[in-house]
Amino acid sequence: MSNEIYIVGAARTAFGRYDGEDNELAEQAIRGALADCGVAWTDVDFAVGGTNGETKPDNLVSRLGLTGLPFVTVKNGCATGGVALMTARNGLIAEGSDIACVVGYDNHARGAFNASPARYGIGEWYGATGMMVTTSYFALKIQRYLHEYGIDPITLGYASEKAFDYATAHPYAWRRKPVSVAEAMDADMINDPLTRFMFCSPDAGAVSLVLARGSRAFDLCETPIRLAAVELRGRRPGSFEVFSPWLSPGDRTSPSVDASAAAFAAAGIAPADVQVAQLQDTESGAEIIHLGETGLVAHGEQQAGYVNGDFRIDGRIPVNTDGGLLANGEPVGASGLRQVHEIVRQLQGRAEGKQVPGRPRIGLTHVYGAPGISACTVLMAEGA
Amino acid sequence: MAVDVVDATLFASVDPVALRGSVCAACGAHVFPALESCPMCAGVDVADVALPTQGTVWSWTTQHFEPKAPFRTDGFAPFSIGYVDLGPVIVEGWLVGKTDWSIGEHVSLVLAKAWTDGDTVVHTFGFEVTA
Ligand SMILES: [Zn+2]
Repeated sequence: MSNEIYIVGAARTAFGRYDGEDNELAEQAIRGALADCGVAWTDVDFAVGGTNGETKPDNLVSRLGLTGLPFVTVKNGCATGGVALMTARNGLIAEGSDIACVVGYDNHARGAFNASPARYGIGEWYGATGMMVTTSYFALKIQRYLHEYGIDPITLGYASEKAFDYATAHPYAWRRKPVSVAEAMDADMINDPLTRFMFCSPDAGAVSLVLARGSRAFDLCETPIRLAAVELRGRRPGSFEVFSPWLSPGDRTSPSVDASAAAFAAAGIAPADVQVAQLQDTESGAEIIHLGETGLVAHGEQQAGYVNGDFRIDGRIPVNTDGGLLANGEPVGASGLRQVHEIVRQLQGRAEGKQVPGRPRIGLTHVYGAPGISACTVLMAEGA
Repeated sequence: MAVDVVDATLFASVDPVALRGSVCAACGAHVFPALESCPMCAGVDVADVALPTQGTVWSWTTQHFEPKAPFRTDGFAPFSIGYVDLGPVIVEGWLVGKTDWSIGEHVSLVLAKAWTDGDTVVHTFGFEVTA
């Protein structure tokens, strides 16, 4: 029996503010993904749901049907979507079953995430003295990175401009108003060097995928997209993570470096083979760093890449073609699956926003989050 | 007024001020605050150590909005935080005295007023430009 796993159905909700129940949002995405490939809930063998909220994903069966299927819940911060997808892939292979459904969703209240020191094993002093702030972490990380590789801060403005330009064409993105490089640079400073237009905000949204084993995929979908790799990695010494009262000196690395390298190796490709990519852009600086850490661009070459338009829809490697986190916001549980959804659509030639010309065949997705985990997937259209 | 610190376990001594880290007997890694085991090599033979008090700014940012609770202040004004390269370890802390910094600036450890609690002035550690 073939162990190749394909994505045969994909659907997402609009991202933004949502007044209804979390489970209602998740149900919309699941019904959309099932309809996308003509699969009934009663045909699903295995399900995985991820959320960082208070609801229980496995309770979705009360809305969808009590078929008795195993339903696994995952909760891994920003990497939740990637972990949910990996769990579904592994579940299909281990159980020898045919069809899995994955859902990721969240419905966050307005404002920056409020973190408690104790949850991260840090003393109360860290929060009391104003250091337990995610925006300052991102600022400290990109400040160092720009310095180390001689990148001008205006590159941050280019990254924001690109994200909102993609989003103007995407019907499900949240922030669809264009922002110029100058507007991004001149906006209120949040944490030097990052301004208001360089951060994503928590919001609401849900994404669902239907996975099928090779033997079934081509019956269910005209253009199934092969999940060529999904790899999860944690931090090693030298990584620079959120809420770190200290760092080790010496060479820096990141779980993103390890997860992307593992995904490329498992898929048997090189970074240069990637034709469309989705990178974690919690803020503009993260996209710049992750272009380098995944090997899509050499460290220090990002600025030239933005200026040349390499990451635009007709560029060498279009990046975050749905507007990324910057324009979609971050419903934590849904965000990683949104990336996969967008790449699937691009490889199928049916992007909801701007379509990469020439039918790309190989795509990369990358999520990264606290406390230092990253998940990457390589997706391939048949014939790639 | 009485003088206190945000967390006495952070300090090897308060006067003169020095931070209390730990060092691993197996691999030599220094960490801050002190830990009971070594995250670098998973060793458990670690001892307290007073960290160097001089270093260079490794990265910095200025906090332009007031952090949510549990942040405590007598009155918010934008303040800088940074990572300071002390040699064996890079430590995160307040950068005091100004809000516009450059990577590589030489700084020294100081006690900085964090907030007042009744009759007590509570201090945290910070770094200021070396005189
Ligand atoms: Zn050690």
